[in-house]
Amino acid sequence: MKHVSPKDVTHEGRVKGPTRRALAKQQTRGKVLAAARELFSERGYEGATIRDIASAAGMSTGAVFANFSDKSDLFREIMMNDLAQLADEMRDAASRARNVEDALLRLFSTGYTFFRQQMPLARAAISVSWNPEDGDRFRKVTQVLEIQQLMLEQLTAAVERGELGQEAEVKLRAQMLYDAYVCNFAFAIFDGWSLEALQSRSRDQIRIILAGARRG
Amino acid sequence: MITAGARQTQKAATRQKVLAAARELFATQGYEAATVRQIALIAGVSVGTVFNAFPSKAEILSEVMKERLEGLYSELDRVLPLLRGSTTDRLRSMFAFLFAFETRHVHLFLAHIALAFDWTLSAGATPYGRNLHLQALILECLEKGVSAGDVDPQADLRGVVDLLLAAFAWTFRLAAWEGAGADAMISVMDQQIGVICRGFQSRA
Repeated sequence: MKHVSPKDVTHEGRVKGPTRRALAKQQTRGKVLAAARELFSERGYEGATIRDIASAAGMSTGAVFANFSDKSDLFREIMMNDLAQLADEMRDAASRARNVEDALLRLFSTGYTFFRQQMPLARAAISVSWNPEDGDRFRKVTQVLEIQQLMLEQLTAAVERGELGQEAEVKLRAQMLYDAYVCNFAFAIFDGWSLEALQSRSRDQIRIILAGARRG
Repeated sequence: MITAGARQTQKAATRQKVLAAARELFATQGYEAATVRQIALIAGVSVGTVFNAFPSKAEILSEVMKERLEGLYSELDRVLPLLRGSTTDRLRSMFAFLFAFETRHVHLFLAHIALAFDWTLSAGATPYGRNLHLQALILECLEKGVSAGDVDPQADLRGVVDLLLAAFAWTFRLAAWEGAGADAMISVMDQQIGVICRGFQSRA
C-alpha cells in the first residue's frame, strides 16, 4: 500500500490566499515598521516612544499595540529583517573568498557597508544589545546568532582545509571575532571612520586573532 | 550678600549631594528603576535643583561612573609599575584587577555602555569607550612589552587595545546574563588574552 505523506494532502481552505482582514493587518504592520525605523534612526531607541511612532504612522497607540507587544518587540522586528538580509549578503561574500583571512574580512566589510547608510540604526541596535533589561533577548535573536555562526563556519572550514591547526579553539576565536566586528562600529559612529579605515583595522585584528591558530 | 565664590561652593555641594544620592539608589535599585524624583528626595533637594545641576538621569550616571572609574584607574596607575612577568601575565593581572572591582556593579556598567550608544547624553559627558585613561594604561602595558622584547614592534598596538577592550566588555555581558562571578569572568578573559597575545608575540 502506498503511503500518503501529510505534505501531499491539500487543504482547500489554505490555497485561497490571505483574507482581506489579514491584508489590512499586514499593511498596518508595514506602516508602523516604516515609521518606527525612521524615528529610531532619528532619536535612538530610548528617545523614540510608542506614542511618537503611532502618531508618525497616523494611528492610535492602541492600534500599534494590537500589532506589537512593546517597543522592544517592534525594534527586534526591524533588526530581524535587516540582519536576515545582511546574513545572506555575508554568506554570499564569504563564498568568493580565497582563504580564511579573506573570508572573515569580507564578512566584516559586508556588515560595515550594509549599515553605512543607516549608522543611527546600528547605533540604536548596539545600545539595545547592552540594555540591562532587553539586551539579553536581543542578543539571542536568531539572525544575530546566524552572523556569529557564519564566523564560526569560516574557522571550522579552515581547520578542515588544514589552513588552521586542529587545536584552533574555533569557538572562542569566533566569539572574539564577532566582538571585534561589533566594537569597530563605534569608530564609524563616533569618529566617522571611512570604510577603508575600518577594513584596515579589521584586517589587523583578524590577523592577530588567527596568528596563534595557523599551522606550521 | 552671597558672593560669586560662595555660590560656586554651594553649587558644587549640591552636585555632590545629588551624586551621592544617585550612587546609593543606582546601587540598590539599578539605573532603570531609579527616578530623578527619588534622587532629589534622598539628596534633600527639589527636582528642579537636580535638573539644574544635571540635564538628565543619563548625565548623572555618566558622572557617577566617571568618578568611580577615575578612582579605579588611578589605583591601576599605582599598581601597574609593580607588575612583573611576561606581557601576557601583566595583561591578565591588570584585567583581573578590573573585574574584581567591577563585578559588584555589573548592571550599572551595562547601563553605562548602553547609554554611550544612545542619543541622550550631552557633549560634556564621558560615555563608555571614550575614557582615554584606560586605553592609555593598556597601551603602556603593551609598550613595556615591546621594550622587554616579547611584543612584536611591528604589531598594531592600537588595534590590540581595541581587541582587549572588546573582549573586556563582552565578558561583562556573560556575567550579567549568565550569572558568572568574578572568577569565571577572569578565566574567560584569560583565555582571550592568551589568544590575542599569541597574535603579537615577537618572532625572535
